[in-house]
Amino acid sequence: MSNYIERPRYFCSLGGALSTLEALPEVIPILHAAVGCAGSIAWAQNGGSAFQVGGYCGGLHVPSSNVGERDVVFGGAERLQEQITTTLEIMDGGLYVVITGCVTEIIGDDIRAVTDEFADKGVPIVAANTGGFKGNSYLGYDIVLSEIVKQYVKKDAETKKKSVNILGVVPYMDVFWRGNLKGIRELLEKLGLEVNTFFTEKDSLADLKNSSQAALNIVLSDVYGVETAKAYEEEHGVPYITAPLPVGPTASAALLRQVAKALSLSLDVEAIVEAESRSYYKYLEPLVDLYNDADLQKYAVVVADVNYAVAVTRFLLDDLGWLPVLVQFTDLLNEEQRTQITAKLQGHGDAPSPKIVFDTNASEAIRYINELYPKRESDKYTDTISPAFVVGSSLERALALKIGAPQLSVSFPVSNRVVLDRGYTGFSGGLTLAEDLLSAAVTAR
Amino acid sequence: MSYLQDREPPKREERLSACIVYGGDLCGLAGKTRGCACMQDGERSFTQGSICLLLPGISILNSIPDNVNIVHGAVGCGACSHSQNANTRSGGNLRFGAVKDAIWVSTALNEMDVISGAETKLYNAVIEADRLYRPKTITVIASCVPGIIGDDIDGVVDQVRSQVAARVIPIHFEGFKTKIWATAYDAVYHGLARSVFEDPRFNEPIIKDDLYHERIASEKARTVNLLTVSSMGLADEQELSRYLNALDRKVNVFPNFADSDSMYKLKYASLSISTCPTHDDYLLDYLKEEHGIPHIIRHMPIGIENTSAWIRDVAAALGKSDVAERFIARETAELSAALERYKGFFKGKKVFISAGEFRALATANLLHDLGFEIAGIRSFHHDDFANVEYEKLLQTASAEIPINIANVQPFEEANLLTALKPDLFLGHWNGNSTATKLGIPSHVIYNTGLAYIGYRGAYELARRLYRQLSNPAFNKNLSQYVRLPYKKEWYAQNPFTYIKAHLDVPEGYQGTEEAGR
Repeated sequence: MSNYIERPRYFCSLGGALSTLEALPEVIPILHAAVGCAGSIAWAQNGGSAFQVGGYCGGLHVPSSNVGERDVVFGGAERLQEQITTTLEIMDGGLYVVITGCVTEIIGDDIRAVTDEFADKGVPIVAANTGGFKGNSYLGYDIVLSEIVKQYVKKDAETKKKSVNILGVVPYMDVFWRGNLKGIRELLEKLGLEVNTFFTEKDSLADLKNSSQAALNIVLSDVYGVETAKAYEEEHGVPYITAPLPVGPTASAALLRQVAKALSLSLDVEAIVEAESRSYYKYLEPLVDLYNDADLQKYAVVVADVNYAVAVTRFLLDDLGWLPVLVQFTDLLNEEQRTQITAKLQGHGDAPSPKIVFDTNASEAIRYINELYPKRESDKYTDTISPAFVVGSSLERALALKIGAPQLSVSFPVSNRVVLDRGYTGFSGGLTLAEDLLSAAVTAR
Repeated sequence: MSYLQDREPPKREERLSACIVYGGDLCGLAGKTRGCACMQDGERSFTQGSICLLLPGISILNSIPDNVNIVHGAVGCGACSHSQNANTRSGGNLRFGAVKDAIWVSTALNEMDVISGAETKLYNAVIEADRLYRPKTITVIASCVPGIIGDDIDGVVDQVRSQVAARVIPIHFEGFKTKIWATAYDAVYHGLARSVFEDPRFNEPIIKDDLYHERIASEKARTVNLLTVSSMGLADEQELSRYLNALDRKVNVFPNFADSDSMYKLKYASLSISTCPTHDDYLLDYLKEEHGIPHIIRHMPIGIENTSAWIRDVAAALGKSDVAERFIARETAELSAALERYKGFFKGKKVFISAGEFRALATANLLHDLGFEIAGIRSFHHDDFANVEYEKLLQTASAEIPINIANVQPFEEANLLTALKPDLFLGHWNGNSTATKLGIPSHVIYNTGLAYIGYRGAYELARRLYRQLSNPAFNKNLSQYVRLPYKKEWYAQNPFTYIKAHLDVPEGYQGTEEAGR
């Protein structure tokens, strides 16, 4: 285990919580933190979130108590109380959420005591301890959503049979979060479901408040969002399932089947899958000539976060028919998570399983590739990684250059693409990903 | 006396009486130049998040070739490097012909580290980073957490130095300790001066002949130091170097993108020249006190008048005033002719500016040159270096224009802009969203890919503003459907409502109290 993380591909838990709140409708985050935290996160989004910074109340518009040396000595609770009071005067929102940074967490300010005073007066307010040293932004997403589930979401709501919530797609960390959530909603609507995705322009604060009426929570990640789903289960009795991010026909079909089963829906899922697959491959029909003529099948190296590493690798293996040879996970994961994820990336038929590594230091990827394909200059006949393709973050451009491969940035940081409503989920999302991969491979043509 | 023997430089609140709270008019601020102490204890009862010294600090470190920056803190501190990496890549490509990502790593302090300290982790991180990346330098920076839990980064660096090939530079960026992020420049200069200014041993001649000292002296006489700011790109750097070359001087450019192996050369110059007084006084004082190098720190070469003044100051110090006058006459004649076609279009349009203090004021000067009318200025902090600029502004702008000192605080900006309705807004990186959402044409006040400085910068800025103003549809359309997160009632209030009355009001002070609560 290394003593550092190279170019961390996430923010701290405060950053994840803040990004999550920025993406929720009508929510005003209140930072109880040092002066630079909001800016640090805004600049990080600026560099890594595919040109998306802040939202309704994001960037440097975010209220923050900006605690200093004096507060470190005397405590910052009084300053927080003043800040909440003035925030309520100025900032226009439907829900106010206080989150903490390292400084206030270490000095031990009791923020819940402060927010309770306001809550008692009827202010919609939530407190979450997100101090940056607790973990990374994915943890921050879970901490803040779990607190919202406990402190804000309606208690004892009547279950709506065909209503589901989507968790596990983390705003700004998944730079395609809006497009991906839209794709998931459209996919699940084919089952006649009412889909609450929390973070898109179609979602509202009322949907968040009433999210306890869902019949099922669907966590589209092996790691992110699981804690929030557990909070729903404990507080509101909503059961949950987990599934990989559904990118392309195979994963989308699997999700439709899994959800239909979990909700015991009485409809012909296979007919839906058949129709959607037919439509998907109809789009591929005219590609057939050049896919073959230009020899577009590749060996793939995937360096990404949990969601993309799993979803993209499966898409390449199951749908596009490429050969993923190395998958590097850049998240911090425990043994259990590693075992569970490794099991999901098995090959099939003659397509071998890729080599899987868990290493936060992505510049090591070249070392793993060299291990797979040892170079012997004297060999006339030798197996190489060519023709290769690198799917990862923008930082994998250096790797792609080293192995002479085209590259596509999909996992944070994405600094060389502008993303608005693009997404890779569902059947049609698979087409979008295929377009992006193949376009990157033929730019020189 | 130099502060260099201390491990950390003093914060600017103390060293320069810098402050971040003021709301009033130009007359009030320009008139107060007899003392800034009145603004010392100003505070807001409502504040918004901002940046801390760590961000501008590491933007310099990320530009230094072959440096690995170890961020000792929680995993989110230093995440701004993802944005700064764009500059490292493009700036490196332009200067060295190769695209390279910045290398930064985080010790990612966790709950256990907070309880038991993380000095060992840092020690090991320095050794691992040295082995893996083989860098020339390793900067070890402390963010808030080590500052509170008491990790001694200087002690760790002292211990680890003998174990690694790279030169290791500890720098303090504990964000909670200062609200003036310009303290970052002092911290960077402090760290570099303590660690990499030693002459390399190979520089020592094998035989010192009679001419040794003469050679050093003549080399010194022909060389000047140009201190750059991280918000300047190569175009701006080249523009200023062009002037200095025209005055027959070689230029040491420091610190952005400067090779750490050559930084010692700063000591072998006859003059140091600042491009931004907000940035540089700390290092300039050091070079003067320790190495007897005189300096010029007065004008920022943004704007035609300012640029000419900057060149004149340098030329006077070098005894080249006649050359400079001919140079200035030729350059300004050429520039005025080129600007003619834009001036009519700009004439009378109202512009609002928001940025670091010196940059904002110097840019106001330039925009006035271009024909704009200054509608208001917001600066991120205030210190006495800028007094001269406020005096200049008084000559070109109305004494009633609003001046707002704020470490960003866009809520005050939103209020001001709604009332003033300027035709154009120029703001800092990450600081243009307020104006844009209000439908005001906006332009970024620095971007390292663009030119701003000198005569060339004046022309390029004019050209860009002409483009921006020719079709502001993006901003106009957006403002119809997207809004800022403030309540309607806020816009009806005094923009400085949340500035608390100052605690130490000197006798006879007539500042912001009427605006305060």
